[in-house]
Amino acid sequence: MILHTLNASPSSAAFTDCVSIMAKGDALVLMGDGVYAALAGTEASKTLQETDASLYIMTADALAAGVTNLAAAVSRINMEGLVTLTETFPRQQAWY
Amino acid sequence: MIYSLLVLSSPFSGHSSRRAAQFAHCVTARGHTIHRVFFLDAGTLASAANSVSAQDEESPVTGWAELADQHGIELAICITSALKHGMLDQVEADRHERASPTIDAAFTVSGLGQLVDAYASSDRLITFGG
Repeated sequence: MILHTLNASPSSAAFTDCVSIMAKGDALVLMGDGVYAALAGTEASKTLQETDASLYIMTADALAAGVTNLAAAVSRINMEGLVTLTETFPRQQAWY
Repeated sequence: MIYSLLVLSSPFSGHSSRRAAQFAHCVTARGHTIHRVFFLDAGTLASAANSVSAQDEESPVTGWAELADQHGIELAICITSALKHGMLDQVEADRHERASPTIDAAFTVSGLGQLVDAYASSDRLITFGG
């Protein structure tokens, strides 16, 4: 079980690499430019939902980027939510 | 639970360094301990004692220093990255014949071994890059 954090746009190699490694039981937190991958109806969000990982987005970053139309599988979290995830997942992989 | 943080990003570009500081506040608020924050690459600029922030912006240096002071957190900067970015303590300033140190006193110039130690000594190592 790995907690992935993605701070890079869906057009980046970081996004592609992240998705290729994500597995069921993993979680992904979108932050910074990574939030654009959560936009409903996009190829990026479809790709993420096909990984079977749990998907989260930092609310403040999403609002700052104007990303409000989220794919259904993506849950909003705040900083405390991120800390809570790190309590649950023993390992983190940062993509940026 | 014991945490350590690895900060790779400049506090003057993007939001990762600030996000790391907010994360650190939240970690301590939830009752955890932060063993060490290790700054690498452009992340070492968080120690820039001479940086001046706009009046309506919080100084990243002050923010980290207060966090360290309040919770006894070690702020370690990688010596190789620090020197490349002009971040020198008194010892390095003397060694390289520079007029004065440039890092805030809250930070310690350190080596990559301290990052390995942080990983070995902590339950969690959380990386902030980008």
